[in-house]
Amino acid sequence: MAQDNSAAETVVGPSVKIQGDLNSEGNIRIEGSVLGKVNTTQSVHIGEAAVIQADMQAGNAIIAGQVQGNIKVSGNLILQATARVNGDVACAVLRVEDGALFSGKCNMKGAALDKKSASAGEPEQEK
Amino acid sequence: MYFYILDGTKISPAQFEKAQVTLQGLLAQFRISGEMVRVTSIRGIPELVELAAERGVKTLIACGTDDTFNIMLAYLAGRDFALGFIPLIDDTVLAKILGISSIESAVKTVAARRLEKMDLAVIGDNYFISQVEFGIASTKVKNMGWFSSMSSLTKDYYNLKLRIDNSYTMDITCLGGTVTNSRTTSSSNSSIANPTDGFLDLMVLERLTRMDVLKYKPDIAKGVMENIPGTSVIKCRQVEFLEPRGFPLNIAGRTFAKVPAVVSIIPRQLRMIVGKGRTF
Repeated sequence: MAQDNSAAETVVGPSVKIQGDLNSEGNIRIEGSVLGKVNTTQSVHIGEAAVIQADMQAGNAIIAGQVQGNIKVSGNLILQATARVNGDVACAVLRVEDGALFSGKCNMKGAALDKKSASAGEPEQEK
Repeated sequence: MYFYILDGTKISPAQFEKAQVTLQGLLAQFRISGEMVRVTSIRGIPELVELAAERGVKTLIACGTDDTFNIMLAYLAGRDFALGFIPLIDDTVLAKILGISSIESAVKTVAARRLEKMDLAVIGDNYFISQVEFGIASTKVKNMGWFSSMSSLTKDYYNLKLRIDNSYTMDITCLGGTVTNSRTTSSSNSSIANPTDGFLDLMVLERLTRMDVLKYKPDIAKGVMENIPGTSVIKCRQVEFLEPRGFPLNIAGRTFAKVPAVVSIIPRQLRMIVGKGRTF
């Protein structure tokens, strides 16, 4: 249970259930559950016990818990061994650790953000 | 011109007289004497604030307890005073926040006139610059022994529903928490409890294990909840307490409102005279 909260501006604790749009201008760490949307220009850390049913948009993301929804990250997306992701992801750099479950499409280098190139049928990486 | 409101309402007469004599001597010594008025049963703080406004006073100094300053804040009604505080008793929350340790250091601070624009927080009709506490928070824990804190911090909990910034709702099971504008303890994280950043910091304390109580009781007593694992920290501009109805919301141990209630922030509303040792 010992986590470093010092770097995160917003911390959602294990007993917290959020419904709605969680917007922040700083780093977010989620250990509880979120139903709605998560937006930040900085980093999101989804803890192992977290349950997210939300579309997420962030600068970087580290995911160790469950996410059901689309993830758009302008930088790095790391799926840790305990991650369970069900949804499409778009990111510049993707790292998937052994044991992570990922079900969805993956667009890299902003391809998913660019609807034109997506409709032109550019190659996509799928896992 | 300086306008000093002297309030001995919650101070013993002997202590008040002694403090008043000390204060007058120091004000003369530092050459910041102005008009000094005492709160009486006929002329309360609201009437004295009104009087100061009529006289075109620029600097209003509350001399007394935290309550003196809080009541003065409530009756400013948007008027643009520079505000100061001189504690006439020991151990006031406001003095610690502003970096004042005694009457003498308060007078030196007023004389130095270091002005800082501070956020003003509102709960119901009450203005404050410190923090609102709910459930089990620092003021309660400070007064608890080890046995009662072990019992309360591992067993008691409350189910609350909050709405944040009109954007999302939070259902929480917690021991308690705070909505902080500023507090008596500095944070290692400068963005927390900073009364100049235009935000409130909602901190929610989760139920603790016995080991956690042993380890973190001093942090809870100081109100430094962000150091405790599992604590939620939300930066926001408005916290709306929705449930449970009638749940008390306290400032410095006194109930100021009951749920449902809204706590919000007015950024950089106050021009406050602050000391070097302030907590922000």
